[in-house]
Amino acid sequence: MRPLQGVRILDLTWLLAGAGGPRLLAALGAEVIRLEWRDRLDFLRYSPPVIPVEGATEARREMKSVNRGGLFNDNNPGKRSFSLNMAHPKGREVFKRLVKVSDVVVESFRADAMTKWGLGYEVLRSLKPDIIYVQQSGWGHKGPYWKYASYGPIAQAISGLTDESGLPEPYPPAGWGYSYMDWSGAYYTAISMLLALYYKKRTGKGQYIDGSQIEPGIFMTGTAILDYLVNGRHYQRTGNRSPYKPAAPHGAYQCAGADRWIAIAVFDDQEWHALAAAMGDPAWTRDPKFATLATRIINQDELDARISEWTRGQDPFALQDRLQKAGVAAGVCQTTEDRVERDPQLKHLKWLIPLPNAEVGTWPVKDVPFHFVKATVDQGGPIGRASPCYGEDNDYVYGELLKMSAQERAELEKEGVI
Amino acid sequence: MANGFLFDVRVIELGDEKGEFCGKLFAGAGADVIKVEPPGGSPTRRIGPFYKDTPHPDRSLYFWNYNLGKRGVTLDIAAAQGTEIFRKLIGNAAVLIDSSPLDTLENLGLDWGALQKLNPGLVYLRITPFGRSGPWRDLKACDLVHLALGGEMMLCGYDPKPDGTYDTPPIAPQMWHAWHICGNQAFIAALGALLARADTGEGDMIDIPVHHAVSVCTEVDVPYWIYARGTCLRQTGRHAFTTIGPPSQHKAKDGRYCNVVANPFPGGRETMIEFLREMGLQGDLDDEKYKDPANLVGFDFIHHFAKIQAAAVAAFKAEELWRKAQDRGIPWVPVRHPEENLNDEQWQIRGTFADVDHPELGVRLRYAIAPTRAEECPWRMGPRAPLVGEHNQAVFCQELGITPDELERMRQARVI
Repeated sequence: MRPLQGVRILDLTWLLAGAGGPRLLAALGAEVIRLEWRDRLDFLRYSPPVIPVEGATEARREMKSVNRGGLFNDNNPGKRSFSLNMAHPKGREVFKRLVKVSDVVVESFRADAMTKWGLGYEVLRSLKPDIIYVQQSGWGHKGPYWKYASYGPIAQAISGLTDESGLPEPYPPAGWGYSYMDWSGAYYTAISMLLALYYKKRTGKGQYIDGSQIEPGIFMTGTAILDYLVNGRHYQRTGNRSPYKPAAPHGAYQCAGADRWIAIAVFDDQEWHALAAAMGDPAWTRDPKFATLATRIINQDELDARISEWTRGQDPFALQDRLQKAGVAAGVCQTTEDRVERDPQLKHLKWLIPLPNAEVGTWPVKDVPFHFVKATVDQGGPIGRASPCYGEDNDYVYGELLKMSAQERAELEKEGVI
Repeated sequence: MANGFLFDVRVIELGDEKGEFCGKLFAGAGADVIKVEPPGGSPTRRIGPFYKDTPHPDRSLYFWNYNLGKRGVTLDIAAAQGTEIFRKLIGNAAVLIDSSPLDTLENLGLDWGALQKLNPGLVYLRITPFGRSGPWRDLKACDLVHLALGGEMMLCGYDPKPDGTYDTPPIAPQMWHAWHICGNQAFIAALGALLARADTGEGDMIDIPVHHAVSVCTEVDVPYWIYARGTCLRQTGRHAFTTIGPPSQHKAKDGRYCNVVANPFPGGRETMIEFLREMGLQGDLDDEKYKDPANLVGFDFIHHFAKIQAAAVAAFKAEELWRKAQDRGIPWVPVRHPEENLNDEQWQIRGTFADVDHPELGVRLRYAIAPTRAEECPWRMGPRAPLVGEHNQAVFCQELGITPDELERMRQARVI
């Protein structure tokens, strides 16, 4: 049994900050029906990397289909897709019928899109009194910036997360090398839906949640804000050094090979002695400069240089093995290839799940990191599929859910509504 | 009256920083979270920074931030009497968040089977570094090591040199993101289990390996590898990608930085050029050759365009121009220090922050309390994190019926 069995989500999200939310609920067992229209598709449907249809060796081939976007396939597994033209008045009428049979409406349009269509929360609630409406826009619907645009790097920069990442000045912030706040946006879209579903289960009441992609970022900077408020301190970047939990060494050290690095962290004397022993107890480790955690922190530059000298010629994985055996927290800065092709623990955890898509076949997709003992939970969701092809589930949505007659459907298709 | 989403949920939290953020989310959403700490207090109380830079278990700002809204008790769960009390606590809880070292509860006779017997409705969230089995089960980790193994580090950092080699290390964004990433996903899983429990009355056990949680939190790199055997290369302030893209983070007149999308979504660049022209910052874009749209695309142009954007950012202070750009739909923002959001009207109106009292210190401090805005179920605005053992009496005496004399004996025996 899947935990969210019987929950239906009308999904009008796109990209990752939105679409990743219903993705997670699909893994938990919700039925997610994704609304799409051919003139305004999620552009990840046709963006690279293109999924090769005949095996993985061919890198890219010309893209003519909207069902071969690799990022789309990873962002939307477990969902159904149906086509509906919301710009058409009849499309909005059909949409209203779907609201009546859904538990949640979730969208990540610009903040005013739904009200422009005459489909704000009050309207949705008049159609279904206990509907849950989750809106996930860039800056949130309420507030003077409601019209402003955002996506991952923008949300990271304004929230303070970018400023917290990177080498100390004069280096600029390094920020995040991907849209971390797209995933966070997805997490909070999911959290909003789940919290509201729980509350509805207990009270019978639906609600509207106004999500912003940026607020979860601010939420994660709370410690730095407190430090400013009570100690007057602006956050100072520390590179890979531990800002507040005393540790030394604590950093990335270069190994043999092109751009290969290992992270090593030592929080106490016992770990320090273990590291020294793993290095063969060279004389410099007995220098009073490195005798205590406090002095190691003071002399970190020299300490890092010494350790780098030692790691430089070594294979990173052999080194990880050796340090871990000695009781030192150490881990290779793994590349994507390392994680997909070699990481034995991720393999053991089955972090990638093979899922079929009707056009491109079966490919590995990132599975959720929740390992339920009793319930069935995986990223294929109740339908056991990767991302849907465009409009793949029109029969299901219009036939089974809305019980639309063949004649009505044919007419709507003719009018460009479906 | 119901207050908060999870108004009827009791959570017991055991462990360290791996589970604290998840517990904070529960508390923020209205659950009654009881944090069980060893006598003397959780080791996370030793993580800085500290109030007025004075290290003290009740003055860790780290602890304050991650334990907002929780109650706190001290208990040596390994002592016979402590184990018995812990069993009672679990007996009437909906959720147990456990990020203690591997086998901790098993060694006390509280494996999953025993927990189920004790409380068939228990949702047991087991957060471990690598999972309860597998070849890396016993590896030692920390925030940094997780971000290394999980792939984040190789995607974050600075541009390579022109010859393609890097002279800077991969960067782990600091301030505990392995725990954020894991905590968010653990919370999602637990909410799923709570929904099932509401129907069936049955609990479940959920393993959340931090390594798995962190490894699936990267973005385009895994699909690029799987579908195209492409490797994403880290670059300053923007997406790691298979090629080195145009810079998007530029220095403003006041030495601060702004992030301007270098390669905007379809249609975005025209709006940007129009805006720059109005500000007189269009550089050479009015040249004859750019009348041919063919010259407004391609690798050379986007890198040239980034230079024009850089010059535009350099002409103003970081906070000066961005709202004007945003008014046109151009995603342009300053790179803010975290505290610079405190006084922004947007977050004040939305209730992103709230003031929380620390009565024993006579201060009121502003916390980031709301990751979303929900009027029906507002995020909890406090109280401040518990002092060491603050709720021992309330929980042990008033709820579990332990007498004050017995509590004192427990204190002397270091059980609490």
